[in-house]
Amino acid sequence: MSAHWRQRPEGGGFFALWLIRTIALRCGRPAARVVLYPITLYFFFRRGPERRASRQFLTRALGQRATVWQILRHIHSFASITLDRVFMLARGERGFRLEVEGLDYLHDAIDEGRGAMLMGSHHGSFEALRMLSQRYQKAPLRIVLNKQQTPAMTALLEALAPDIGERVIDGAQDPASVVLALGEAARQGHMVALLADRGRQDEAMLRVPFLGEDAAFPVGPWLLAASLRIPVVLCFGLYLGGNRYKLVFEPFADTRELPREGRRKAVRGYVREYAARLESLARTHPYNWFNFYDFWHDTTQVVGNDAGAGVGRDVGARA
Amino acid sequence: MSKQTEAERELAALIVENLNLEDVAPADMDPEAPLFGGDLGLDSIDALEIALAVSKHYGFQLRSDNPDNKQIFASLRALSAHIEQHRPQA
Repeated sequence: MSAHWRQRPEGGGFFALWLIRTIALRCGRPAARVVLYPITLYFFFRRGPERRASRQFLTRALGQRATVWQILRHIHSFASITLDRVFMLARGERGFRLEVEGLDYLHDAIDEGRGAMLMGSHHGSFEALRMLSQRYQKAPLRIVLNKQQTPAMTALLEALAPDIGERVIDGAQDPASVVLALGEAARQGHMVALLADRGRQDEAMLRVPFLGEDAAFPVGPWLLAASLRIPVVLCFGLYLGGNRYKLVFEPFADTRELPREGRRKAVRGYVREYAARLESLARTHPYNWFNFYDFWHDTTQVVGNDAGAGVGRDVGARA
Repeated sequence: MSKQTEAERELAALIVENLNLEDVAPADMDPEAPLFGGDLGLDSIDALEIALAVSKHYGFQLRSDNPDNKQIFASLRALSAHIEQHRPQA
């Protein structure tokens, strides 16, 4: 059995991030992008588990056995987005073409002042959402990041975008504090963003159909939304190649009307719907998929999360 | 099981009612048993529900930035003591 994604190196650690940051900001994006080719080849040859996971995913999403070329393209796409994170954090939108679709849904949710929950995924660039959030000062974006598990990412955030770093809710605190912090953020009318496609070992998961086979998705983010009684908007930051990104917002559910008794049942429906929507995007934008591990079978080993859905990690299966 | 105080009984009833704990009688809640992960099987989302109910019922907020949260949510007794200490006096 392949090692679980959480046990894989944190995509480089301090040195790699420092290197990327230095090359990127000193030499500019076009020069930095040249470096992505050797990086892609390095990953392809040296990181077997990620390569196999890519083939497995692409084969399902494309409906035919993935070729070496397609796997290289997948890794290159991941490397590109990782590099762009540095630019987006340091310089915001400058140098990028950002299309936005469905922003009205987000506006509607925010204007009510009840806060909004943005459900994202490890599909595409969530950083694109942060670029947009710089335009909206009245509804700050709040994310959960486990500062102990991703020290390199945390350091990068705090160095390049201190305003965002300050608003990070530390997922390493005890679960009750994390959830209370999210509740407080929502009450202040903030946008709370979670990534709802990865779970942890100690988190209640639900197996639902995804690209032809059941895969486990966490229920915690949805239970949290239901408890907060706030509007849920799906958010996808798709990378379209070159310097183009597209942010898509889709209305999903308003949990305000949800009766308390039917809550956990409704949550099962949410997970299914979310997985179906993610599947559809995985098919149309396969190279945006960044869960480089066996998404269908590794869940028993899921032990952590780097950005988002570590919330409600102790959530039990109480009906 | 140690005996519930008056304040603990009130809080137990509030928790059972707000979390729809159908097979738990408030009087049967052991004040010293762990609230989370024990027999009650409560989780962090329930903590949020409890916090909301407490703020409505007692008129003060359980806050996320309290470094003692782990201790406060440890048991019915600990939570009740915290509430009695901080609730606005009528």
